[in-house]
Amino acid sequence: MKRIGYVSAALLASALSSMAYAEIDARAIAFNCWNCHTESSLDAKSSIPSLKSLSAQQLRQALLDFKYDKKPATLMPRLAKGYSDAELAAVAEYLSRY
Amino acid sequence: MIGLSRRRFLQGLAGVGAGVLSGCGGLPFFSGAKAHVVVVGGGFGGATAAKYLHLLDANIQVTLIEPKAKYITCPGSNWLFAGLTGLDQLTVDYQALQDKYGIKLLVDRVSSLDAGQRRLRLAGGQSVSYDRLIMSPGIDFRWDAMAGYDQAAAEQFPHAWQAGPQTLMLARQLQAMPDGGVVLIVVPADPYRCPPGPYERVSMMAYWLKQYKPRSKILILDAKRSFSKQALFEAGWKKHYGYGTANSMIEWHSLADNPLLELDKQNRVLTSEFGDRFRGDVLNIIPPQSAAHIALQQGLADSTGWCPVRPLTGQSLFNEFIHVIGDAAHYAPIPKSAFAANSEAKACALAVTSLLNQTPVPEAHWLNTCYSLIAPDHGISVAGVYKLDAANVIAPVKGAGGVSPRIDAQVAAAEADYTRAVYRNLIADTFG
Repeated sequence: MKRIGYVSAALLASALSSMAYAEIDARAIAFNCWNCHTESSLDAKSSIPSLKSLSAQQLRQALLDFKYDKKPATLMPRLAKGYSDAELAAVAEYLSRY
Repeated sequence: MIGLSRRRFLQGLAGVGAGVLSGCGGLPFFSGAKAHVVVVGGGFGGATAAKYLHLLDANIQVTLIEPKAKYITCPGSNWLFAGLTGLDQLTVDYQALQDKYGIKLLVDRVSSLDAGQRRLRLAGGQSVSYDRLIMSPGIDFRWDAMAGYDQAAAEQFPHAWQAGPQTLMLARQLQAMPDGGVVLIVVPADPYRCPPGPYERVSMMAYWLKQYKPRSKILILDAKRSFSKQALFEAGWKKHYGYGTANSMIEWHSLADNPLLELDKQNRVLTSEFGDRFRGDVLNIIPPQSAAHIALQQGLADSTGWCPVRPLTGQSLFNEFIHVIGDAAHYAPIPKSAFAANSEAKACALAVTSLLNQTPVPEAHWLNTCYSLIAPDHGISVAGVYKLDAANVIAPVKGAGGVSPRIDAQVAAAEADYTRAVYRNLIADTFG
């Protein structure tokens, strides 16, 4: 195939840069929660809690508490600081609905 | 592992039927599909991409092409050296992807790619057309780095950097070594698969040697000046393996300015540029790496040996209909890890379904978390949250990520537990 894609990639780049992003697409963040918090977390032996059965409010509060160091944990405070409060709220809302 | 409710919900958000594409000429399996996406490579990147494509839009037909019917995970494979796991426990298959998500599995190898016609030919003779192709082929080794160390030599001195028979061979060599023997572990310069992997391997070997051959030593011969989670590893080695004392089981030597040039197989000696000689009883030589051969062959890699991509979508800079994810692709500063490949696959699946449905591609968010065991009750971690910066370059989000917060026995034990739980759950999220 060689480098025939150069021109079209450049055109594509300019097309995409003018395309508006969705405001907050919670899926893009929330999918990454499932790397660890899968349904196999329901396994009673697992130390990682399942997110099922938690309400949007509970999830949002937990995420904000991790972010602002009100809830101690080994990993989640490091991750929650990577997102705005609005993003965390959107993720909580999304995760509560499945 | 994803119940019907989640599946329906995901589909509900995906804008099903938003656009029917033209150019779906070669749909070999499923005439009702609006598009056919082919995923090459069934590791953490490819399996995750295939699964999430289906979850996002069940009207897309997904085919996964992978040469092996079963996959042995690299994550967890170092634990075998401590006697904590076996190859059986590290083996997964593709049954759930086929049964639960309707993914068509072809156990075959890609022999050629006609990018203009968007068609792959497989070693078995079959021809497969695609609307979009996701390549997640993993790594291959560069055999030109050290005189005397080539593919044939690796049968005697295993790299064990793709889990499988090489892992077992290395474990058996360790078990056969006399007490008081020396293990040499040669670590390449960045970038390579699993940056903390060599140091977890050293830890797991030290844990086993401490019990069964306590007079033995492990020498790390490193092409780098520093390494991932270095302070945490060194603190753990100090606690468990006498690191820094005259009786340390582990020694780390940076050879950044004095590279190893030659292997003398007969005498099991490595010689450096300045003429330093290192003799070992067991030699674990991890060669420098590149994107897998198929990616190089198809012109998807640049002069670095890795595949440059537009990070938002994972599209190859050389072909807009080919996406590259996982270790083969250049997503730096995101490290080459299974966890990161899973995360890249999800961002890519979102982008691919958006492009096929002609909807805006959402902002990409990537996550990496790498746990390592120093001992069965001592785990450590590093994490990173990544997104595109103002210049459209992947950057770690400031103030987030970093290494384990503090080193005490309680945190170490909790993180050891999480190490195993995250492994199980990552498998479930990827293959289950």
